[in-house]
Order: sequence, then C-alpha cells, then structure tokens
Amino acid sequence: MSFAVTNLSAGYGDTRILWDVSLEVGDGEIVALIGSNGAGKSTLLGAISGLVDLWSGSVRFGERELAGLPPDQIVSAGVVQVPQGRRLFGSLTVRENLLMGAYLRTDSEVEADLEHVLGLLPRLRERYGYLAGRLSGGEQQMVAIARGLMARPKILLIDEMSLGLAPLLVDQLLEIMQQIHATGVAICMVEQDVQTALEFAQRAYVLETGRITLSGPAHALLDDPSVKKAYLGV
Amino acid sequence: MKAGAAVGRRAGITGKRWVFISTLAIMGLLLFVPSFHNDYINLTFRNILMYAAMSYGWNLIGGYTGYVSFGNVAFFGIGAYCSAVLSKTGIDNVFADVGLALVMCALFAIVVGLPILRLRGHYFGIATLGVALGLTDLANNLDFVGGSGGLNLKQADQAHFYLYYYAMWAVTLVCMLATFFIARSKLGYAFVAIRENEEAAQVLGISPTRYKVIAWALGGMMGGAAGAVFAPANGFVDPGTAFAVDNNVFPIAMAILGGMGTASGPFIGALLLSGVNEILQEKFLWLHSLFFGAIIVLIVVFLPRGLMYLVGLRGGVRRWLSDLRAFRV
Repeated sequence: MSFAVTNLSAGYGDTRILWDVSLEVGDGEIVALIGSNGAGKSTLLGAISGLVDLWSGSVRFGERELAGLPPDQIVSAGVVQVPQGRRLFGSLTVRENLLMGAYLRTDSEVEADLEHVLGLLPRLRERYGYLAGRLSGGEQQMVAIARGLMARPKILLIDEMSLGLAPLLVDQLLEIMQQIHATGVAICMVEQDVQTALEFAQRAYVLETGRITLSGPAHALLDDPSVKKAYLGV
Repeated sequence: MKAGAAVGRRAGITGKRWVFISTLAIMGLLLFVPSFHNDYINLTFRNILMYAAMSYGWNLIGGYTGYVSFGNVAFFGIGAYCSAVLSKTGIDNVFADVGLALVMCALFAIVVGLPILRLRGHYFGIATLGVALGLTDLANNLDFVGGSGGLNLKQADQAHFYLYYYAMWAVTLVCMLATFFIARSKLGYAFVAIRENEEAAQVLGISPTRYKVIAWALGGMMGGAAGAVFAPANGFVDPGTAFAVDNNVFPIAMAILGGMGTASGPFIGALLLSGVNEILQEKFLWLHSLFFGAIIVLIVVFLPRGLMYLVGLRGGVRRWLSDLRAFRV
C-alpha cells in the first residue's frame, strides 16, 4: 500500500509550520526526510500521526484517508511512529514496554510478534526484565523501535533515530532497520544526520522552513551541490 | 554494577506478591477490631480505614497516572452529602448511600475532569485545588444541604456503630482489591504509561484525556464511598467536616509514605501515619500538628517513593542515597 501526504499544512496556534507539504512513500520503500533544526520534520510526523492538528491537506494510506482521525485509529491503520528521544516508559520493564506497543491490538499473535521482535533485536532478550530507564542510549533506541514494531506497522515513521548515539551503534541500528524493511515494512526516517540518511534510503525529501524544496533518489541528492553545501559541509 | 542490575530486574509496576498478601492479612485482622467492644478503638480504626480508602482513590490518579490532585476531598464530601441528603428524605441504608455516592462521584469526575484533565502536569493540580474550594463554598451556600449549619443524619445506635465499621472495612477492601487488579490490567498499564511518558502513550494510540478521566473517576468513586459511610457513622455533615483540609492532605501523605502507585502503599501508609498521629495527639495535645507536618516533610525528603520502595531496595544505604539524589533536580 502506498502512503501519500498531499498539500499538508499545519502549525501551532497562529504559527504556521508546514506549507503545502507533499510526500509519498511507496509500498516497501525506504524514504528519508532530511532538513535542519526547526524545518518542521517532527511537526510533519506529528501531523501524520494525528498528534498535531492539520490545517489542510490529506494523508492517504492505500484507499484510506487518515487526515483528521484520532491517533489510535491511525496506529491501528498501520502507520506507527517511533518518536524522537526514545520516550520509553522508564519504570516499566523492557517486556512491558514492548507490550505497550501492542496496546491497541486484540489479536492473539502478540506473543508470537514478541518472539519475532526479540529475534530481530536479540540484545533486548538479555535485557528483557530490566527497567527501560536503566538501559544505555542505544538499547533504549532498540526498545523504542521494537515497541513500534509491536504495533504491527505497515509503515514505520522514525524520528531522529541516530540522535545522540555513537556511529557504531547507528550502523547496528541501520542493519536492524534493513531487516525490518526486508519483512515488508515501509520506512520513513526523519534525520538530521543527512549523510547516513541518504546512504540508507532509496528516495529522499528535503524539508526547509516548512516546505519541501528538493526530492529525488537518495544517491542523487547525495551528489546534489545544494545539499552538499547546506548539509554535508563540502 | 551487580547491585544495579538486580534493581533493574525488579518487576515494573506489579510489585512483590508477598507484600500484598501480608497487606491482605493485616486487613483480615482488622475484621476483629469490633470484638474489643471499645468505642475508641473502633472509631480509630474506622478512621484509618476511611483514610486508606481515600488514599487508594488519590493513588489511582496521583500515584498510577502521575497527576497529583489536591482536590480529591471533593469526592469524599460529595459522598458524605449524598448520604446526608438521602437520610433527610428518610432513606437510611448504607448500600443506597454508597450506591448514590458512586454514581454522583463518577458523574462529577467526568464533568469536571474532561476540561481540567486536558491540562498537563501542574496545571491540573492547581485546578483541583479550585474544585475543592469551590465545592466547599457551594455547600456553605446551598440551603438544600443545610448551608454552613450542615445536616443531621439519623443517629447511629450501637448496632449501627458496628455496622458502619464493617461497611468502611468492606469499602477499603474493595478499593485495595480493585487497585491490585487494575494495576495488572491493560487499564492500569495505560495509567502508568501516561505517568511515565504522556507523549509516548499518545503515539501508541492511548488517549491521555480518556484514561486520565477514567483514573480520576475510579479514584473519586473510592473517596466518595468512604464519605458515604462516614456521614451516617458520624451522624452529622457540614462543609467543615465534609471538605476538611485533613481529609485532603492525609490521604496524599499516606499514599506517599506507603508508596505511590502500589496496591499496598495507601493502606500501610494510612495505618502507620494514623498510628503516629494518635500517639502525637496523646503526647503533645497542642503541637501535634507541628510534629505531624514535620514528619510529612521528612517522608517526602527521605522516602519520596515510600516504604514499598524500601521493600524492593537492593544495594542498601548506598543505593538509597544515590536514588535520593536522582530526585533532586
């Protein structure tokens, strides 16, 4: 199922943050959304997830219009966000955090999915009974991703996965993302680390002060002079 | 490292089973209080049970959901007035009293909660202060409920004196068991998720406002039930007794002493703090409030997570001190 945001505008109070943003994530695609601080990346994800009120525009997933739906229905439709800064439930165990990801689910395959997720992230099996708040930053990010997976996403929106993590850890996490992608989950990653994002994604969009200014195949953007100048410092 | 790992492995919100079983056992012992045939003992323990029930009510919103309310006495007062009004119309039945209180408190919690529980963090606490003060004023000025003069209920004879003890015991037991089972249910996990990280809960599809209102309403029903039994047992209700400052502060202090967000904490806290209060009242008739206040301050400073935290503590004094430091931001 393809996911399409069309002419989306949103903001807080009187302040408009997003101006007619359009973006598409194909079935099983990896798309990067890059941009500097304050460009509106997180607001866009929030608007898609129903956390930020839309002013106008549409968010379609397959045949379904998601704009205006409450967050729980958007999650149930398979559009799941891994929020910025991990945002774990610190005094719950890793297991409990993962189960919270499946909060809206009523099917009987939650335990099986738990096994599947632990297979992808074996480190979490070792930390299974630990309080999430006591894990290292990298482990916490793994819990956040795993918790998102427990909601059975068809498309996973990941906000600043690499934030504050060592390069080696980021590589590990990208490998895991690759495996998640291989199971048929489309991925939209929001990144400040432009180099990493463009090397990983198939296509990319550049968001600047609330507008999409550039889009195309990720490797092409990597060679784009304006991207090089603005984000890669070369 | 080893010690830290052990603490890390502690169960998330479910706590230790033997602690709750011990709590239930103590609760069972309290069933024999009336066999002393001593009115003072009976009254003292009925008050302990009453505070425990109110503390459980506060614990659901303040402890589990992380929204500290300073107005939960409102529910106690509503419950008390429900019984008083029923008594005025000739109905003196503790089941009717509690039933009406449950309905009224749930309605009140939903109507008032929907707007003020949209507020985040401290703003909710401030709003609840206004709720309690507003209700006190309302009771003072409504002739229908006796105004500032209050309402007399049918005086309890000796048999009813015991009946109300058992009724309060039953209310508290239900609060305790309800808390235990809610904490282990999906509902309880939604409460804790909101406490731990409201944004994350929202991202996962948990509607914070909905679950905050549910927590407040369930807790309010607990406080209301305590008030509904208190009023006929006391034989008199006025704004000063129904919305007493003690009834607002004690349950919070008890939950903190015992352990917020635990199924045993409020009861253990009520037992200990009431005990201390009785002793202080006997030893220092005039200054006991001063000592009592100092004890509450000491608890918050040195045991912010309550006695249930000590029960789960591995790593001794060193661990305790390092956790204490984590609270001083």
